Amino acid sequence: MIERIEKATDIRHWLGDMEADHYYYSTGLAGEKFFTALRDDGKILGAHCAQCDLTYVPPRIYCEHCFSELTEYTDVGKRGCVVAFTVAHYNKAGQRLEPPEIFALMSFGPRTTPLLHRLGEIEPEKICVGLEVEAVLKPKKDREGKITDILYFRPTK
Amino acid sequence: MSKSQKFGPPLNPRGQRLRAQDLESITHVRAKVPAKYAWAAGTAMSRFLEELKNGKIIGRKCAHCDRVLVPPRMFCERCFKPTTEWVYLPGTAVVETFSISYIDTNANRIQEPILVGTVAFDGAPPHCGIMHYFGEVKPEELKIGMPVEPVWKPQEERVGSVLDIKYFRPRKK
Repeated sequence: MIERIEKATDIRHWLGDMEADHYYYSTGLAGEKFFTALRDDGKILGAHCAQCDLTYVPPRIYCEHCFSELTEYTDVGKRGCVVAFTVAHYNKAGQRLEPPEIFALMSFGPRTTPLLHRLGEIEPEKICVGLEVEAVLKPKKDREGKITDILYFRPTK
Repeated sequence: MSKSQKFGPPLNPRGQRLRAQDLESITHVRAKVPAKYAWAAGTAMSRFLEELKNGKIIGRKCAHCDRVLVPPRMFCERCFKPTTEWVYLPGTAVVETFSISYIDTNANRIQEPILVGTVAFDGAPPHCGIMHYFGEVKPEELKIGMPVEPVWKPQEERVGSVLDIKYFRPRKK
């Protein structure tokens, strides 16, 4: 009926680049508080909803459950525990990662939403859910108000 | 009346208007998003564009509804059936709609208007066709239903693009 074309470039085609190379993301009101506290004071902030007794890490300006406005920022500390993790052996381009990268969700206490970050200073086979970890930050002079100001989380001694 | 009198206070009082000079002082992320694409013309359209190089208009016939589709499609969107046959058309057409534009493609005002519109090819059903330019005609003479013919670029300049036709001009009686 109709021959099958497997590659778009086998027939008349146009190649191009969409103009999406100047991407700017401002962190917003709550993000500004979170990242400046991280950069200047080396603190991890959360936003607490008194009505739901829930702490959002990183902070939000509205509670996702009751839609109330969140104005109470709390220092949740740098210690947390692993809620979930994954060990990546390949990068986005499909090339082998040696050593593998470990991503985990870290919770900073009961009724606290977890933060996604890297794990370090640990063998992949030693990680377990519930493992206690602490944040390793860049030295203050190198911090620029980005999530990479936290280098990784490592097991507490 | 000022904007705020007219529309009331802003809906999100916690929001802050950012100026260009603020963009560096607030926390932010800059990134490059790779967004490469390959857009393929498809089987039918590829043939259509190739035939333009030869100075010919080609369509696809649907055996079920007896229509000739120009630009060609491999599938009839009315019958949901594959089209069956390639058909060459004479290339002559009639004006379906047109627009006299005093604004160019960069939105600049221009003195001499650009004449654009759709043409329906003879041999194909009315109300379907392609968009193109009109030339060798005064804006006030352009009419819906006017018989037109394509003016081709010289063969050696044709690349298999719809712009291998320079424009459509009124047909001499």
